[in-house]
Amino acid sequence: MQSKSRIVGDAPEKVLSKVPGARPEDRIDAWWGLFLGVVVLVVVLIIFWPDPYRRILEFVADGILITIVVTVVSFVLVVIVGLLGGLARTARNRYSRGFVSLYVEIIRGIPLLVQLIFWYYALPPVIQGLGELLGIQALATFAPDPIIMAIVGLTIGYGAYMTEVVRAGIQSVPKGQIEAARSLGLTYRMAMQHVVLPQAFRTILPAIGNEFITLLKDSSLVSVVAVADMTRRGREFMSMTFIPFQTWIMVALLYLILTLFSARVVSWLEKKAQVGR
Amino acid sequence: MEPIIRIENIHKYFGEVHALRGVSLDIQPGEVVIVIGPSGSGKSTLLRCINRLEEYDEGEITVDGIPLDTAANINAVRTEVGMVFQQFNLFSHMTVLDNINLAQRLIRKRSRAECHRNSLALLERVGIPEKAQSYPLQLSGGQQQRVAIARALAMNPKIMLFDEPTSALDPEMIKEVLDVMLDLAKEGMTMVVVSHEMGFARAAAHRVILMADGEIVEQGPPDQVFENPQHERTKAFLSHIL
Repeated sequence: MQSKSRIVGDAPEKVLSKVPGARPEDRIDAWWGLFLGVVVLVVVLIIFWPDPYRRILEFVADGILITIVVTVVSFVLVVIVGLLGGLARTARNRYSRGFVSLYVEIIRGIPLLVQLIFWYYALPPVIQGLGELLGIQALATFAPDPIIMAIVGLTIGYGAYMTEVVRAGIQSVPKGQIEAARSLGLTYRMAMQHVVLPQAFRTILPAIGNEFITLLKDSSLVSVVAVADMTRRGREFMSMTFIPFQTWIMVALLYLILTLFSARVVSWLEKKAQVGR
Repeated sequence: MEPIIRIENIHKYFGEVHALRGVSLDIQPGEVVIVIGPSGSGKSTLLRCINRLEEYDEGEITVDGIPLDTAANINAVRTEVGMVFQQFNLFSHMTVLDNINLAQRLIRKRSRAECHRNSLALLERVGIPEKAQSYPLQLSGGQQQRVAIARALAMNPKIMLFDEPTSALDPEMIKEVLDVMLDLAKEGMTMVVVSHEMGFARAAAHRVILMADGEIVEQGPPDQVFENPQHERTKAFLSHIL
C-alpha cells in the first residue's frame, strides 16, 4: 500500500520534471527573474525618460490603488460565495443544489462585461422605480456607487466560477474520508469543517490562485462602469496627451508587476500547503 | 442476555440488485463474530448497515438499545461503534496524533491534554508510539491500519466493526494488525469482522457466519462451520479459500 500511494503522490512531480522550468524550484527562479526584470524596466523608464513615463505613473497612481482594492475586496467575497456555493452544490438538499446550479449556469453564460454594465446602469433605475412605486424614499433616491457596484458585479460573476472550483475540490476528497469521520460520530458539518474542506482546499489552491490573477486582470473591465481604476486612468491620460504607445506600455507593465507578484505569492502558498503529502 | 446488536429482517436494494434479503442477526455483548462469504454476498453491506453508513430499505436495527431511526440516534450509535475500513481512511492532512485526537475532542469534549494522553497510550497499545508526529502517507499499510484501530478505540466504543481490515495489506503486515485485533478480542470487545483470515477466526471467533446472495446461509462456532459444514454453499466456498 505504501509503495502504491508513494507512486500516486509522486506522479505529477515526475511528469513535470520532464518539462523544462515546470518543477516548482525552477519555476520560482524563472518567476523571480521575470518579476525583477519588469520592475527594473519600469524604474529605468521612469528615471531616464521621466517625460512621459513618470508623468504617466503619477497620473495612474490612484488607479493602481483602486485596482488593488477592487480586486482584493472582490476576491475575499468571491471566496466566501464560492465556499457557500460549493457546499450547497454538494449538499443533499436538492433545492439548494438546483438553485446554485441555476446561478452557475446563468452567470457563466453571460459575458462579465455585460454583467458589470447591467449592475451599474440597468439595475439602479429598476430599484428607483420600485422605490417610487412603494413610496420608499431610500430606494427612490438610490444612487449607485461605481466601486460598490463593480465589486458586486465581479463577486457575482466570479463567484460562479469559484463555486465550481470548490465543488470540484470537495468531490476530489475520497468518499472514505467522510465515512471515516461520520463513523466516529462527527456530524456532516464537523466532517466538512475538519476533514473534507481542509483537504479540498489544498487540492484547489492552485486553481484559487489562478482565479485571483484572472480576477486582477478582468478588474480592468470595471473601467467601463465609471470606476477610476488603472485602465480608466490610462485612457484619460491618453485622451489628454495623445501618446497612446507609451501610456499603454506603462499600464501593461504595471499590470504585469501585479500579476507576476501574485503568482509568486500563490506558488509560495502552494509549497507551504504540501506538508504531510 | 439482551443482545447488544439486534438486526431484524433487513432488506437493501442497490437499484435492481437485492443486496440484503431479509437478514436477521443478534449479537451478544463481548461476542466476536466473523462474517465470511463470496464477494457480492452482502457481508460488507450488512456491516455498514450496523452504523448506518449504508441506509437500508426495510427492517430494523437496534444497537445497545438505541434504534437506528433518527439522525440523533444514528449519531449516538456511531459514537459507541468504532469502524475500521479496508482502505484505512486515515485523515491524510493530519498527523497520526491529530487523527486519534479529533473525535475525542469534538464529540467527547475532552481537553487537549487528556486527548494527547489517551492517544499516546493507544499508540503504545498498537505498538507504534514513535509515529505520533508522522503523517499517514509516511507509514506502511500495516501501521496505517493500526492507527485506524487506535483512532476508533479513542472513542471508547462498546462495539468494533472491521470491514476486511487486512485485505489491502501486504502479507508480512497482516499479522501485526491481526495481533492487535486478537488482543481486543481477548479483552472482551464486541467485534463484528468481515474477513477471510481463517487463523484469526479459529483463534478469536465465537461464531462464524457465512453469507451468500444477501442471506445468512450458515452460522456456528468456527470448528463446526469449518470442519463440518452443513450447506452446499458453505462447502463450495470453503473449498475455495482453505
